[in-house]
Amino acid sequence: MEAAKIQSALPYRDTKAQGAADFYFAINATFRFIIEKFGIDSWKQYLETMGRSYFEPVNRGWKSGGLEAVAAYWKEFFAAEPNVVVDICRDENEVVLNVVSCPALNHLRAHGRTPVKQYCQHCYYLGQARAQEADMEMRLTGGNGVCQHRYIAKTRGLAPQSMDAIKKVTP
Amino acid sequence: MLGSYDFCGHYEWTFAWLKSQGQPGLLEAYWEDAIGRDSQAHARDAIVQHGLEGMKAYWGHTMNEESPDQGYTISSEGNRFRMDIHDCPSKGFLLRNNLEQFPDYCDHCIGWIGPVMREAGYAVNHEHNHRGQCWWEMFPENDGHAKAGTETIGARYDSKRLAQWDTGETPIDRFVHAHGVQDKKH
Repeated sequence: MEAAKIQSALPYRDTKAQGAADFYFAINATFRFIIEKFGIDSWKQYLETMGRSYFEPVNRGWKSGGLEAVAAYWKEFFAAEPNVVVDICRDENEVVLNVVSCPALNHLRAHGRTPVKQYCQHCYYLGQARAQEADMEMRLTGGNGVCQHRYIAKTRGLAPQSMDAIKKVTP
Repeated sequence: MLGSYDFCGHYEWTFAWLKSQGQPGLLEAYWEDAIGRDSQAHARDAIVQHGLEGMKAYWGHTMNEESPDQGYTISSEGNRFRMDIHDCPSKGFLLRNNLEQFPDYCDHCIGWIGPVMREAGYAVNHEHNHRGQCWWEMFPENDGHAKAGTETIGARYDSKRLAQWDTGETPIDRFVHAHGVQDKKH
């Protein structure tokens, strides 16, 4: 009998089970550097390009696997992040991620770091670029530590993302 | 969301994006300012304020968190500090996942550590082989032996003793009395 092959939804695997939380310092610092040097539009372009390029293997999996693949990815993604509280739901139309406690903002604040006020927007710019590659849409509401991400089949009519629906991050 | 688990992957991708912006010195400024002064402010503060003791405290914690399999050693003698990395968790992640958008990922370390050492009154001797192995010696600016590039600490786990240290497949980059990427000898 052929042994069952365990396939991960994560395209890039490490030898340890979870990432080191201090890397959130570098992610935040990178955002600050790009925003200060080039402005918000270039930062958005950086995230969208990364979403289409670096995450291409994930997007491809989402395109072929649909919402089931999206849910599986986020389940594994958050299992590999330290100190996260998230609820992931899926129905036939969408995948909803209810982030109850954002690991990045929690870690930054716990260590006296100041998150860029646009920090939560990165989830939308990155998520929407990746969703569109998979013929889906992504919408985000909330932020500043608690938020909701929705991945929705593109065929459904959907209002554009309101950037006012994404909270600015406070120190 | 950008995650910490595959951080080294999108960090390396970011080097290539910054390079593609076509501004000379931008990537070096990113390593020095964004990484050295912002992200690694805790390391900079420890090393600038406490010198050798700060190095021991910072790398003792960080290497344990990033490399739980202990693919490294740290040692010190007098005012000198040494690290031998045998299995870099960061470069190892890229190698295992076939990720290479930027030609010399390893430069990012000297890119932020070098300027921190300069500020602390130290300089660096260092080599990396682009396969997850490297060695470092940090020493006071005026240390004559170290200035000449002579290794001054007899590292029990010298990375250069590894059979795969120099296979000829990738170049070995060398830094003597260095404070940043600009001091590369290779």
